[in-house]
Amino acid sequence: MDAQFAISGRDFVISVTDKGVARSIVKMKHNEDKTWQLSSHTLMSVSGEAGDTANFSEYIQGNVRLYSMRNSQDLSPSELANFIRGELAAALRSRSPSQVNLLVAGYDKGKDEAALYWIDYLSAMAKVPFAAHGYCGYFLYSVMDREYTPEITLEEAKALIKKCFEVLKTRFIVDFANYTIKVVDRNGTHEIRQDEL
Amino acid sequence: MSIMQYNGSAIVAMAGKGCVAIAADKRLGQRALTVDTEFQKVFPITDRTYIGLPGLATDVKTLYDRFRMRVNLYKHNEERTIEPKTFSHLVSHMLYERRFGPYFVEPVVAGLDKNDEPYICGMDLIGCINFAKDFIVGGTASDNLYGMCESLWEPELGPEDLFETISQALLNAVDRDALSGWGAVVHIITPEGVITRDLKGRMD
Amino acid sequence: MAPLTEPSAGFKFDNVKRNQLLGDKGYKLPTATKTGTTIVGLIFKDGLILGADTRATAGPIVADKNCEKIHYLAPNMYCCGAGTAADTEFTTNMISSQLALHSLNTGREVRVVAAMTMLKQYLYKYHGHVGAALVLGGYDVTGPHLFTIYPHGSTDKLPYVTMGSGSLAAMSVFESRWRPGMSREEGIEVVKDAIEAGIFNDLGSGSNVDVCVITKGNAEYLRNYSTPNERVQKEQSYRFTPGTTEFYAPRVARQAQEPAEMDTSA
Repeated sequence: MDAQFAISGRDFVISVTDKGVARSIVKMKHNEDKTWQLSSHTLMSVSGEAGDTANFSEYIQGNVRLYSMRNSQDLSPSELANFIRGELAAALRSRSPSQVNLLVAGYDKGKDEAALYWIDYLSAMAKVPFAAHGYCGYFLYSVMDREYTPEITLEEAKALIKKCFEVLKTRFIVDFANYTIKVVDRNGTHEIRQDEL
Repeated sequence: MSIMQYNGSAIVAMAGKGCVAIAADKRLGQRALTVDTEFQKVFPITDRTYIGLPGLATDVKTLYDRFRMRVNLYKHNEERTIEPKTFSHLVSHMLYERRFGPYFVEPVVAGLDKNDEPYICGMDLIGCINFAKDFIVGGTASDNLYGMCESLWEPELGPEDLFETISQALLNAVDRDALSGWGAVVHIITPEGVITRDLKGRMD
Repeated sequence: MAPLTEPSAGFKFDNVKRNQLLGDKGYKLPTATKTGTTIVGLIFKDGLILGADTRATAGPIVADKNCEKIHYLAPNMYCCGAGTAADTEFTTNMISSQLALHSLNTGREVRVVAAMTMLKQYLYKYHGHVGAALVLGGYDVTGPHLFTIYPHGSTDKLPYVTMGSGSLAAMSVFESRWRPGMSREEGIEVVKDAIEAGIFNDLGSGSNVDVCVITKGNAEYLRNYSTPNERVQKEQSYRFTPGTTEFYAPRVARQAQEPAEMDTSA
């Protein structure tokens, strides 16, 4: 039961993941960062089967960084998303299928625009303005659908994320104490604290 | 629930007089939850051949990528553009290759051949081609589409009449299907070029 | 990254694991188009006649109202197919190309037993998983031959045969009216009536009658020989006045017909 969602504006994406790790009824961790830096301007948030998430993400991160080093060039967000989707589709057909849900947030320096890709564990992919995975999607899609406009600014998006937190706090059975909030824009990736929203 | 209903889709192709049309809804869902309302299910293969892929979204993407590769290779090898009939048989063979572990899509192909003759066909998930002279339907709203097309379609429709007929058939079919809808796109393929229109549909 | 390789021959099983996973999650896996069918064949004085209906079904839905179930195998041989539509189509197609190569290699017309043996050996190999039930007919140097081939690979050689879901209805016509040494006209009439018995009494069969008459050195394919279910003229047109459907400003009004660049984008 992870919280994983993101909102994309014209020139930024905000990615949110919770920091909790639970095994059965026990909280194992409360400071886990579930996002993976793939390049200076691309971020991948991951949820799903424990173990699969780290295993698959490390594999992707390693290969993407290797590509960047070999070619002295980063892959664009759309290239990255397509690569990740292809690898996940292949993994799904292997003897040990990875079951992970992904959000790829990036800033395309070539096109000068932000991009957000939604990829589910079956490796269906869609380029979307906002996205969520798992149970929190049932709560947050309605909120984001109501408030979102394509012209949304970073400040407005931050306010929207605060509303999302509010909904999760009042209506969702799980209490997510802490969140990792990261912004991807033309300057790269940086984390913001919850009280900075 | 069937795996063919997991993401939801509705695709229809119709033949007209010297033109063909192919239309699809835009919803991508996870069962009852709508994830995207701009999801592409109809893809251009050449200037005048389009393919619609109703079914499981992951296979829609996987197959379109593979079709694109094979069509590009065809262009390199043959130094000509692939005909809709040839392309349909390519698709059919790629599906039957996985007879015992299929992709979950029921492709719909629409195009004009080199003599400007309309060509439409549909396939089941293991590549059995259904050549039709009138219309082809696919997806979670296919039963509804059969009913709509069977009553609305008539022979010898020109591009504008065909647009109205295919649009009304699709819109009214998806309004009685919970898993598809949320906007629609129509492509009308004529010898002069392709007209693409985004329809205003119910968003519920 | 996986190299771009041309596919090798034979079935691929790379989706099987993934599909099992989906099946285990409780999603029902779909079934392919079946041809609930009436197909028949009989021997007459100068050769043999094959017959088939033209309905293809997907569950309770009529998927194709006028499909072709009599498949070409060789100039002197045709084959009716029942069962999983894709299997009958691809199996007969593949055997047909093997027969063409065989006759090119030997420089002779292929015998019907050769086709029958290739079909049964292929089907036996897949233990019935390739769901093709066939009626094979042809005329070679040894005369006319008529076989039925079942999905598991067993065969029968009989003077008159029926197969598919409408086989009982069709056989009732054959049992009462077939006799040795019938004329061509009599034979076609009996085949037509047998198929129509299937069309009207079996829900899996419908629409029209296809007939194929094979005699020494000649094969005549009579597509839609009988059309007992022609659609009547519609009483009313549902043509819409232009402008009925609302749409957003056309995304692409009319794409110019320039030789398209090859799409290689991510």
